[in-house]
Amino acid sequence: MFRFQSLDEDCTLEEEEGLVEEEDEIDQFNDDTFGAGAIDDDWQEEHARLAELDERVRDGGVSLPPTVPPAAAASSLQPSAPPPGLEERGGGDLAESLARLILGADPAIAGVGAAGLPARAELPPQRKALSEALPARPPSLLGYHQQQLRMGTAPLQVNSRSIWESVGFGPVGVTPALGPRMEDSSLLSIIKEVGLPKQPPPMRSDERRDLSERVPPPRSSSPVIGSPPVRAVPIGTPPKQPLSHMLNQQIHCPTAVHVRAPIQHRYAHPFPERLSPNTLLNITNSPLCRPPFPGGVGPVLSQIQRAQLLSSQVGAFPRAGPAPPLLPGGAGGFRPFFGQHPPRVGPHIPPNHGPIRHNTTHLHPQHRRLLTQRLQSRGDRGGRGGERRIRDPYSNLMTQREKEWVARIQMMQLQSTDPYLDDYYYQNYYEKMEKKQERDRDSSSKKEHTTKLITPQVAKLEHTYRPVQFAGSLGKLTVSSVNNPRKMIDAVVTSRSDDEEKREKQVWNKRRQILYTVEKMYSLLLEVQDFEKKFIQTPEEQREALLEQHKTHTIQLYNTLREKEWDDRVSDEQCLMIMSVRKGKRLVSRLLPFLPPPQAAAVVMAIARNLPALAKKDKQDQVLCWLVEPVSVVVQALSSSALTDLLQELQGNEGQLPRVLQNKFGVTLLYLILSEGERMQSSDANCQLMDDNRWTELVFSVTRKLLEVPPASLSPPLFTPPNLLSLFSRYVDRQRLELLQEKLQISALSR
Amino acid sequence: MNYMPGTASLIEDIDKKHLVLLRDGRTLIGFLRSIDQFANLVLHETVERIHVGKKYGDIPRGIFIIRGENVVLLGEIDLEKESDTVLQPVSIEEILEDQRCQQQAKQEAERMKLQVLKERGLFVPRADTLDEY
Repeated sequence: MFRFQSLDEDCTLEEEEGLVEEEDEIDQFNDDTFGAGAIDDDWQEEHARLAELDERVRDGGVSLPPTVPPAAAASSLQPSAPPPGLEERGGGDLAESLARLILGADPAIAGVGAAGLPARAELPPQRKALSEALPARPPSLLGYHQQQLRMGTAPLQVNSRSIWESVGFGPVGVTPALGPRMEDSSLLSIIKEVGLPKQPPPMRSDERRDLSERVPPPRSSSPVIGSPPVRAVPIGTPPKQPLSHMLNQQIHCPTAVHVRAPIQHRYAHPFPERLSPNTLLNITNSPLCRPPFPGGVGPVLSQIQRAQLLSSQVGAFPRAGPAPPLLPGGAGGFRPFFGQHPPRVGPHIPPNHGPIRHNTTHLHPQHRRLLTQRLQSRGDRGGRGGERRIRDPYSNLMTQREKEWVARIQMMQLQSTDPYLDDYYYQNYYEKMEKKQERDRDSSSKKEHTTKLITPQVAKLEHTYRPVQFAGSLGKLTVSSVNNPRKMIDAVVTSRSDDEEKREKQVWNKRRQILYTVEKMYSLLLEVQDFEKKFIQTPEEQREALLEQHKTHTIQLYNTLREKEWDDRVSDEQCLMIMSVRKGKRLVSRLLPFLPPPQAAAVVMAIARNLPALAKKDKQDQVLCWLVEPVSVVVQALSSSALTDLLQELQGNEGQLPRVLQNKFGVTLLYLILSEGERMQSSDANCQLMDDNRWTELVFSVTRKLLEVPPASLSPPLFTPPNLLSLFSRYVDRQRLELLQEKLQISALSR
Repeated sequence: MNYMPGTASLIEDIDKKHLVLLRDGRTLIGFLRSIDQFANLVLHETVERIHVGKKYGDIPRGIFIIRGENVVLLGEIDLEKESDTVLQPVSIEEILEDQRCQQQAKQEAERMKLQVLKERGLFVPRADTLDEY
C-alpha cells in the first residue's frame, strides 16, 4: 500500500513555486500522507530501535552516543547538488557535535538510569563547551535535523531554500522559526534545504543506535493514496505542535529573513509533529523569544524526551542547551537570554506536568492562587517522588496542549446560560460545601478552599432559522444542522368550524386551559421559591431589582387566583378549577406559604367553602391531604374573627358538614380550626372569640353533628390535636363528652 | 494541576496504571497514555488479566486503543497495594484452560436451566449478548 517514492520525484507544487531544487524533489503527497517514514521501510527500523530502546531502558540507560543516526534512508534522501556552501563539510561533524551537545546538556536526556548527578554535573561543562563552540553550533543543528530527515521521520515539505540563501546562514533558530504560520513545515523545509545534499555519515551497525532520533512517525490525516491530505482541520483533531504556533507569533527577527509562505497551508498537518528537529528548533526559540516558563516548554521538552526516550524530567534542558549556540547568531531580535539560564537550570524535578502555567482563566481567582501554591509545594516534594517517575520513558505522550484541548472540549460541553437551571444539583452541592467549610473554618483556623469548577457562561442567543429563499423560485432551501434540524412538514394550524366538535372541544379546552394556567403558575412559583437562593447569589446592586421581581411574581400568582372584579375575594370558580387538577392542588399547597396572610386566609376560606366539591373531585387522587400542612400554618395565624368565619364557611349550608366529615381532609381541617380556637381561648383570657356567640354556636352545632353522624361515615383525621378534649369539655356535658370521646377516639392522654 | 475540579475527568489519570473493564467482560491493565473527548483510551503495556476463581493469569497485549463506549469502568491501580492480593497468579495456559472449563460449566448450567424451564412451559428469551460483564 505504500508508495515507495524516491525523493527524486517531482513535486509539482514546489515547481510551481519555483523554489524547488533538483535534489529536493520529493513526493509531497506521499510524504504528507504517509510521512517520510514510508520510505525504505524506515518504520521497521523505527520499531526495531524502539524495541532496542526498551532493552536499553531496562539495562539502566546509557549515555547516548554522540550522533550518527542510522543511514537507512540516506541514499534516497540525497539529492545531488549540495546546498550553498555553508554547511557542506561541517554537516556530519556538526550533527555529531550538536547531538552530543543536546544530549549531554540535558541531564534528563543524558541517560535514563544514570540521570543523576553525573548527568547534571555534565551540564555546566557542556554549557561551557557550548558557549565556546558557538560559531560552530548552528550548522550542527541543521545537520541534526538533516539527519532526522534522512531517517525519514520528518515529512519533507517544500523546501525553503530561499530563506537560507537570503540569510546567508544566520542563526539556525531564527530562520526556521521565522517560517510561516504553518507548523513544522518551514523548519523541515529549511532542514531539507540545508541538509539534504550532504552525505550522512553511515551508520555503523554495531554502533549503538542513536535513540535520540527515534521519533514516532507523524500521523497523517488522509489514508487515501494519491490524494492530498485533508485541508481543513477536522474538529476532532488534537492540537498542533504548540510551539510552532507560538513561533510565528513571537519572532522578532528583522525582516531580512525572507519569510517564505510555502505550500504548507495546503498540506496542513492537523496532527502535531513529534519531530526532534522541530522540537529542537522550537526549544531553541522558545527560551529566547518568550519569557521563562512558557506553557509550551513542557510539552516541547516532553517530545524531545520522548524522541530521546528518556526520562520525563522537564527542566534544565530548554534553558541550558540550545540557547548558547544560538546567541551569537543573533540576527537581531534575540534577547540575551543566556544570562538567565543558570538560575533556572537546577534541580528542578517537577512532576510530570512540570511547573507549567496552564490556562487558568476559567478558574476561580482563589482557585488559581491555591493552584500555584500547590504547584510550588509539589515542586518541593517532587524531588523525592521523582525517583519513580524517572523510570517512565513513555510518559507525557500526551502533551500539555492536548490535555488542555480535551479539557476545553469538556468545558465547552458544560457551557450554560443558566447554571441553576442546567446544573441545579451541582450548584446546591457546592453551596453546601462552602457553608460546611465556613463552619469548619470557624472552628479550626485553617483556611482551605476546595476548588470549584467555574463553567463558562454563555449568553443565550436566539437563532431563528430563516430558510434561504431565492427570488422567483418555488419553495425554500433548507439547510439542516444540529442547531436547526430539518423540518419535515410545513405544518400550518387551521381551525375547524364544526359546531359539534366545538362543543366537545370546549370541554377539553377548558381542561387544557386549567392545565395551562397551572403550568404558568408553577413557573412563577418556582421563581418565587428560588428567590432566596438567587438573592444570596446576586451582588448588592442587583438585589433590589431582584426583590422587585419577587414581589411582582407573588402578586401575579395571587392575581391568577382571585376574582376579576373584586380585589380581595378569591375567585371560587378559578380556585375550584385549579384544585380540580391534581397538580393544581399541589401547586396551591406550595403556594400558600408564599402568599401574604390576608390572601392566604382568603384562599383557605375558599377551600373550606368548597370542600365538598373538592372532596368529590379528589376521590381519585386523594391528594387533598397535601394541603394540611400549609393550611394548618395559615389557620394558626388567623385572627379569631377570621377563624370563626372559617368555621362557618366550613359548615356552610345544611348538610355540608356531614360531607365534610366524610372526608379525611375535612375532618382534619375541622379539628385544626377547633384546636386553634381552643388554644386561643385557653391562652388568651380575653380573646375575642367569645365576644359574639358565633363561635359558641358553631361549636355547638359541630358537636351535635359529630354525635349524630354515624361512625362509619366519620373519616379518621390525619392527626388529632390534643386540646380537643378540653374544647369539648367546655361545651358539652359529661355524658356527651364521653360519647364524643369514644367516637372520636380522643383520649385524655392522646398526643 | 487540577484539571476541572469537581468533575470526573481522565486527564489526571494519565500515565498512571489503570484497570479497565470492558463491556465484553475483559479486564485490561495498563498505563493510560492518552484520552480524548469520547474517553477513548490508549493503554500502554497492556495486560489482559483473566480471573478464574482465586487464580488469575496475565496475557501481555502491548498497546491498546479502546473505544470509549466499550468501557464499563476503569480505576487507578495503587502500585503499592498491587502486590498484596489474595489472588494467585498462574501461567497463561493454565488460566485459559480454567477459563474454558468455567465457560463450559456455565453453558451447561444455562442449558439445563433452559431445559427445565421449557419443561414447565416457561420461555426465557435469550438476552442480547451485547454486554457480557
